[in-house]
Amino acid sequence: MRAQRTRGAVVVATGLVLALTVTACGDDGTSSGAEGDGTGEIVFWDNNGGARTDVWNEIIDAFHEEHPDIRVQYVGVPIADVQSKYDAAIQGGADGLPDVGGVSTSYLANLVAQGALDPVDDRLAESGLEDEIIPNMMESVRSTVGDGEEAYSVPTSANQGVIWYRTDLFEEAGLEPPTTWDNFFTAAETLTDRGNNAFGFTLRGGEGSVAQALDMMYAQSGIDSFWDGDETTVNDPANVEALENYAALYNEVTPEADLNSDFTNMVATFTGGTVGMLQHNLGSYTDHTTAFGEGVVDGLPMPTGGEDGHHTFVSNPVDGLGLFSGSDNKEAAWTFIEFALRHEMNSLWNESAGQIPSNTAVLEDPWIAEAPPTRAAVEALNDENTTIVQLPYYLPDWNDITKAGTEPNFQRLLLGEMTAQEFADDLAEQLNEAQAEWLEQR
Amino acid sequence: MGRGPPVENGEAVMAEAATERTRPRRRRRGRTPRSLPYVLLAPAGLLMLGFIAYPMFSVLYYSLQDYNVTKPWRNGFAGLENFREIFTDDPFFWETLAFSAKWVFVEVSLQLVFGLALALIINQTFIGRAAARALVFSPWAVSGVLTSTIWILLYNPSTGLSRYLADAGIGEYGTSVLADTGTVFWGAVIAELWRGVPFFAILILADLQSVSKDLYEAASVDGASRVRQFFHITLPHLRDAIVLSTLLRAVWEFNNVDLLYTLTNGGPAGQTTTLPLYVAQTGIHGNEFGYAAALTTVAFVILLFCSILYLRLSKFGGDDK
Repeated sequence: MRAQRTRGAVVVATGLVLALTVTACGDDGTSSGAEGDGTGEIVFWDNNGGARTDVWNEIIDAFHEEHPDIRVQYVGVPIADVQSKYDAAIQGGADGLPDVGGVSTSYLANLVAQGALDPVDDRLAESGLEDEIIPNMMESVRSTVGDGEEAYSVPTSANQGVIWYRTDLFEEAGLEPPTTWDNFFTAAETLTDRGNNAFGFTLRGGEGSVAQALDMMYAQSGIDSFWDGDETTVNDPANVEALENYAALYNEVTPEADLNSDFTNMVATFTGGTVGMLQHNLGSYTDHTTAFGEGVVDGLPMPTGGEDGHHTFVSNPVDGLGLFSGSDNKEAAWTFIEFALRHEMNSLWNESAGQIPSNTAVLEDPWIAEAPPTRAAVEALNDENTTIVQLPYYLPDWNDITKAGTEPNFQRLLLGEMTAQEFADDLAEQLNEAQAEWLEQR
Repeated sequence: MGRGPPVENGEAVMAEAATERTRPRRRRRGRTPRSLPYVLLAPAGLLMLGFIAYPMFSVLYYSLQDYNVTKPWRNGFAGLENFREIFTDDPFFWETLAFSAKWVFVEVSLQLVFGLALALIINQTFIGRAAARALVFSPWAVSGVLTSTIWILLYNPSTGLSRYLADAGIGEYGTSVLADTGTVFWGAVIAELWRGVPFFAILILADLQSVSKDLYEAASVDGASRVRQFFHITLPHLRDAIVLSTLLRAVWEFNNVDLLYTLTNGGPAGQTTTLPLYVAQTGIHGNEFGYAAALTTVAFVILLFCSILYLRLSKFGGDDK
């Protein structure tokens, strides 16, 4: 009887646990694809579905008019999920992948390592498109992968860290715009009145926090390179001091709930309450204008820092379009990429997104002059004294290290459970290891 | 029974004829393909092979591999290295396992107590009982992600309860239960409790309705109080339902990803990261599929062992009810 009961228990338990626990892994399914005859249907994955759906549909409609023999099927993928969607689709085989996809340099190296993308250098040269793209952006795309000689995406836009601020609140308080760090910290303190639900700043403590922390650190310290030999400068004393300044804002001039804020919550806090400033990139421009209308919120490049008083920016990811290796219709796919990157469409897209266009001709368009944050970003980028710190997006571990690998530690830092030095040292250790492994396998 | 008289020829012939008459029936039964049950079972068997056995063995296979899609140069057979690292070199495994155990114990215990209480209440006859039952069961119909969204809004510092409390002079502006390390656990527990209690209430109510009223009447005649009736009639009757529902719920809560992922994302500072969330972070964000598969295998073995032990200790299905 005991034995029967034991067997019964084993059977019931095994069945339950088997049915409820185990998940599956798939196998790689990339293939070499085919050129096709330049007509037919292609699938396009937008890597910021929702936010950019309308403008892409406008571009696709224009493309259909000019190329009636090619149909583009639009698939909008939420920006937060895009990398995992690509990874899952690659494991599932080429049929699940698009012909063309939006690709940011923050995960470009991952896709290339999995053999999912075709190099586009020959196509760029043959079409003459390369001559129209801002050289720095092409360089960013090339330097992201391998030996830096091949481009696996065509840049559509660049981004830049911005201090967004409420001009109405600044005027009321008689504050200077946050063009310097002194102005920034003074305004953050002055605009805070916790008892009346007013805060000087809102900080990103949740998902995506470390990328913004790096923006704040290098912009304050003025350190001009991410690497000093094979060691990262992230835990340089000047960066650690900058990080201390940044973390000290939490729960003093920010809401306590910022500890968990991701992009959506951070923007919602800024647009839904009385908050003086927000640090993000140009990509949130439309969120602010939608919430406040024109003229209430302005954006300035990250304040000048360091000893020389010039701008120092970390390289924000360059967004682009990639041609997928498994596509059976590469000619048509390239026709779409080329169309989207030409002057008119690139201008349309970037005006809508409020970002820095990749097509040089767009820089002369009137909307650039009429969009102060974008204009200021372009001017700062073009300033010969501005330093761009190139982040190592080429590291396969980059996203893991700067997200799941260190975001919990950033929250510990904000909570005072970890010092800025400990946080920076841990981050540096992970980065140095990843760099050493990457150098070894090259 | 005594032996009958000898069978005479006539009877023998009749018996043989009767046997003949029955043969075709036996042959008809015999013609029914012996394989028919297997054919009928085959679709279910194939589904189980495809959706349970294959994924399971796939995970076991990858648990013995070093497999990272972004580092193909490192991929290959790792033997038991992933398991060695889990048990000897990964403090986060033990932390997440401990948190999972705490999460399961607190959730299942509270859900059982509240579910049982609600089931006892809505098993009584009162005006509006049907509406009360619908109200009690309704959270069970809400998806995990939607549940999280509802509770995220409730906990939101701008739109949630804390904002209105601050307006009334209670507490500070800009605070959230989920951003305070002292309250985040209970904030998540309450959200999951809201969804999980109806599960117990439904199962226990169904079993309560099968308890014979005669037992209660007899107990009343013998002078047993309501409390005594509950402990000596109701609770013993519910034993199997409670054992099975707590086991099911424990496995579900252990594997819970949707609510915690969307509500806290395992934070702040990793304080609400369960083992399955750690698996998801390792596999999906870290691309370390081999290590994630090994973690899954360990979780599977732990759950299997605990489930067998629980069923044995609780004498599930025993006839001493």
